[in-house]
Amino acid sequence: MVSVLAGGDASAQDVIQGGADSGSALSKGMSTFWNYTGFSNITLGNVVMLLVGLFFIFLAIQFNYEPLLLVPIGTGIILGNIPFIDGFQIGIYEDGSVLNYLYYGVVKGIYPPLIFLGIGAMTDFSSLISNPRLMLLGAAAQIGVFGTFIGAMALGFEIHQAGAISIIGGADGPTAIFASSKLAPELIGSIAIAAYSYMALVPVIQPPIMKLMISKKERLIRMKPPRAVSKTEKILFPLIGMILTLFISPTALPLLGMLFFGNLLKESGVTERLADTARTKMIDIVTILLGLTVGASTQASVFLTKESMMIFVLGAASFIVATAGGLLFAKIMNLFLKEGNKINPLIGAAGVSAVPDSARVVQHEGLKSDPTNHLLMHAMAPNVSGVIGSAVAAGIMLSFLM
Amino acid sequence: MFYMLEAVNWSQIWVITAVGYSVVFAALVLLIFVFKYVPKVLNMQLKRKLIKQGKYVERGDSEEQFIAGEVNAAIGTALGLYFSDLHDEESKIITIKRVERRYSPWSSKIYNINNVLPTTHR
Repeated sequence: MVSVLAGGDASAQDVIQGGADSGSALSKGMSTFWNYTGFSNITLGNVVMLLVGLFFIFLAIQFNYEPLLLVPIGTGIILGNIPFIDGFQIGIYEDGSVLNYLYYGVVKGIYPPLIFLGIGAMTDFSSLISNPRLMLLGAAAQIGVFGTFIGAMALGFEIHQAGAISIIGGADGPTAIFASSKLAPELIGSIAIAAYSYMALVPVIQPPIMKLMISKKERLIRMKPPRAVSKTEKILFPLIGMILTLFISPTALPLLGMLFFGNLLKESGVTERLADTARTKMIDIVTILLGLTVGASTQASVFLTKESMMIFVLGAASFIVATAGGLLFAKIMNLFLKEGNKINPLIGAAGVSAVPDSARVVQHEGLKSDPTNHLLMHAMAPNVSGVIGSAVAAGIMLSFLM
Repeated sequence: MFYMLEAVNWSQIWVITAVGYSVVFAALVLLIFVFKYVPKVLNMQLKRKLIKQGKYVERGDSEEQFIAGEVNAAIGTALGLYFSDLHDEESKIITIKRVERRYSPWSSKIYNINNVLPTTHR
């Protein structure tokens, strides 16, 4: 504090000593102190980002939009945009700072696989196992990924950056962060914020597309209740899924390996303690660290760029394309299915991943048309297959572009 | 921008898109096939085991072997409600009762510390 007050050429003694010099030394010290404060260093970009951070927190608290993500991210945005003078190991981009250490888990892609472990330990794949053909909807919605890839290339992004941006279309935050940490680390902040923002806005983005594409008659289709799934099938699913998908896309190993491992912990029945830790405490800790550091990485000086704005536009387009792709494929599937076996096309929208929000949206929209037609159970199948699909898509992008 | 777009090798982009999208489908279609046939294989094994033990009973309708998820959910909810309601029968009357205690020197009011302190009577 003394050194701050002293600042420049003035020393502490100058401040303390009496006489004619004391007044000027004090004012010099005070002006130096003022120069260190956030008020002195603030830029318009900081103000904009602080407002964005506050808006995220408002969305989370007022509308309950993905609060577990938006509160840490919003707080991170505020922390990352408090103005400071470089050189004190404070900022997230300064070597040796606390935030920089925590951010290491994002830059090196450590947090996303841990999140996937937790997701695996809390996901019930029963609905998927009981009706495996619904997995096609999860694959169809990945058109969002490849559509965004073409869009990003058309907008002039470099091919690696385009690959990283495309994963926003998978509607899966950890996968998007993982892919961008490998392909375009400089864009992690923008990609993560875009992915999580649109995931939080799924209840706003998807319903209009559903209304536009699915007729009232189609929305009333009732699906056969899923059959009960045996314990053996539930144990076999993560094992077979892990081996098959990773043989096809080995680059997705950290994500899919952890996802299926987490699910095996849950379903094996003998590792309940491990599964419980993975789906509660561990995923919570990693979510806090991931959200906070991703938020803090949005320092106005590196975040508010033309590229970030284009990523936001592409992100919105990718969610729309992915939703439309899922819905359209569900309608096409119905053309080949017998009466009584038809699927409600609304569940196609859940193929975009964004677990479990998009499945909830499907349930909500289904209930609007028929208050007794519960689609949540059916929508969970394309929803979790969307997670697998987006991780496979990310793996393919990595294998093509790394 | 147009210069940049011309420099992009678009054939490579289309190949990545087509191959990538096909591989995603291939991976999930493979899983669909596996999980379409896994229950059948498991049931065959169970059938063989039951036939060996002489406990197998032929059923006309193979669809009947599974109970619908909704039925399971209903049974689960009923059991959950039943077990959560299991507790001792209580009078459901909450009140403060005056408890009459038998005399004991340990609870005596005469032999407490206030009364053993020396007092002077003048």
